[in-house]
Amino acid sequence: MPLPRLERLRGRLTHEGVLALALAIEIACFAALGSNFVSAGNAVEIVRASGEVGLLSLAQTAVILTGGIDLSMGSLLGLSAVLMGAAWHDLGLPMAVAVLVAPAVGLAGGALNAVLVSRLGLPPLIVTLGTYSLFRGIAEGITAGVRTYTGFPRSFLFIGQGHLPGGVPFQLPLLLVAALSFWLLVHRTPVGRGLRAIGFSPEGARYAGIPVARRLASVYMLSGLMAGVAGAVYAARLGQAKADAGTGFELLAITAVVLGGTSIFGGRGSIHGTLLGLLALALLHNGLRLADLPAELAGIMTGVLLIAAIGANRLLSERSRP
Amino acid sequence: MPDSVRRALAAYRREVSVAVALLALLGLLALRAPAFFRAQNLRDLLVGNAPVLIAAIGMTLVILARQIDISIGSQFAICGVAAGLLAKAGVPMPLVGLGAVLAGGALGAVNGALVAALGLPAIVVTLAMMVLLRECLRWATEGAWVEGLPAAFQWFGLGQAPGRLAIVVIALLTFAAFAWGLGRVAAGRAVYATGSDPEAAWLAGIRPRRVVFTTFVFMGGLVGLAALLTSIQFIDVQTGAGVGLELKVIAAVVVGGTSITGGRGRLVGTLLGVALLGALGPALAFLGTEAHWERALQGLVILLAVTTDTLRSAGPFRHAAS
Repeated sequence: MPLPRLERLRGRLTHEGVLALALAIEIACFAALGSNFVSAGNAVEIVRASGEVGLLSLAQTAVILTGGIDLSMGSLLGLSAVLMGAAWHDLGLPMAVAVLVAPAVGLAGGALNAVLVSRLGLPPLIVTLGTYSLFRGIAEGITAGVRTYTGFPRSFLFIGQGHLPGGVPFQLPLLLVAALSFWLLVHRTPVGRGLRAIGFSPEGARYAGIPVARRLASVYMLSGLMAGVAGAVYAARLGQAKADAGTGFELLAITAVVLGGTSIFGGRGSIHGTLLGLLALALLHNGLRLADLPAELAGIMTGVLLIAAIGANRLLSERSRP
Repeated sequence: MPDSVRRALAAYRREVSVAVALLALLGLLALRAPAFFRAQNLRDLLVGNAPVLIAAIGMTLVILARQIDISIGSQFAICGVAAGLLAKAGVPMPLVGLGAVLAGGALGAVNGALVAALGLPAIVVTLAMMVLLRECLRWATEGAWVEGLPAAFQWFGLGQAPGRLAIVVIALLTFAAFAWGLGRVAAGRAVYATGSDPEAAWLAGIRPRRVVFTTFVFMGGLVGLAALLTSIQFIDVQTGAGVGLELKVIAAVVVGGTSITGGRGRLVGTLLGVALLGALGPALAFLGTEAHWERALQGLVILLAVTTDTLRSAGPFRHAAS
């Protein structure tokens, strides 16, 4: 009987599966179209270019799983990079100490979001819209909008430009460690299960004994921490720290997360889906450039993909929602 | 204090506190920098913020219906270019204005159809549309500005002073019409009903999907009008216009007291929000503070506005899931 078999096949169809298939087609197309697309050098290029957004999208996945959103991460990235530059250049701290300023600033910024969202119960969209302006504004105020910190020591630039043995870019192990940590947290611990429960229903999660406020706080602080780390990586990759660092990265991260099948309403989603979404975006930008197609196509296709992804997600969720 | 006054104060608490903040700012300016009140400066402020007010009216409708539109910056750019191209093609000025509004309405209808008919989340749909529309415009125009506009285009061909007056009058008339309509017309009440509780609205004989669709169409049309009133102030139409407009407008609406969870808010608040955030930057310049701190201060105002609101009204977790 063909019909039940078809139904069973549909049942096995996951968002991640469909995305992996689309990714394979994407790779095949670009391999046929462009020169140098399938090469070690290009793979390094792709990993380097997606390092910062990758770190942000992992944290954003955890935030969105709880039904929240963090619009401030791109601004916090900029603020972390600028304050790190200021600590090194203006305060004269040794670079090894100054580099720690970036994650510290990220954590502090994340803590502000955390307090406002988890203690005061304010809507995350508005809180992080406010801190989006606040963090970027402080970065602009400190640098007077124009000052750029450059001339970082070589040992620091290694974080963003260096090669490990075998030509592996430094971003790869960083991204892998972060991805593995987030995957374990979200998919293999009670904490991760709790995040999803909060996403489905904060009230229900509270009655189930989950410390909702504490979990929410930790998610926003993690998000800030990743923004801080990404700020250091960004400054090291470009060799400069400026107030406009990371502009629009929050939207790229959200795009990767939603493309990866995480529901914007929370509760459903996965870290591996986000990684696939991130890869799809990175390959799109890179492949179109190598194939000499107009760069605008990348944005247009991102938009179309995003709408297709939530459309598909909606169809799948109607079937599998618990 | 008589009871009626006390009740009115309680009902308009947010509007009153924003008005007090605005008056305090103006008072400070009167004492420290009276040059702020020179006619030329006030006129520039009014003309500059008239388009923001018009876009904020549309955003208030959308947020009242429990939706959001972050694609308005891209819509703004497209409508401006459309108006410029129509004028260049020799279309008479009233039809140019109609064309800009219709172009915006059509873009809003696309958003509305995706959100209302397919039931997709507005934040993701409009995020995708923001990227997609912006890149389509860049592809079509290759970043070139619309130049060589006919004399009838700038200031509606009225000359500078009457043109400025026309812009402010149009903005205020639009505001008055919508403020009246939202409060006094059944269709306006339907927006509140839909935003408060779509299910209950449905049972009360309202079609929530139709209401949501219509608010997006109005949003687009109003953005078209805002783009028209902005582009006639300059010699050329910039294709990169409107970047970040969505966050500026959402901030003004939220500061004005409209609840991001829908159903609560008034256009008077939006007017005050636009005035406060619009006056902040120039005020800083007149008070001798560096203008680079404008964005940080705007972020602070947003956070203060939402924080004071919650501290007064209720405990945590009211909006934790939104």
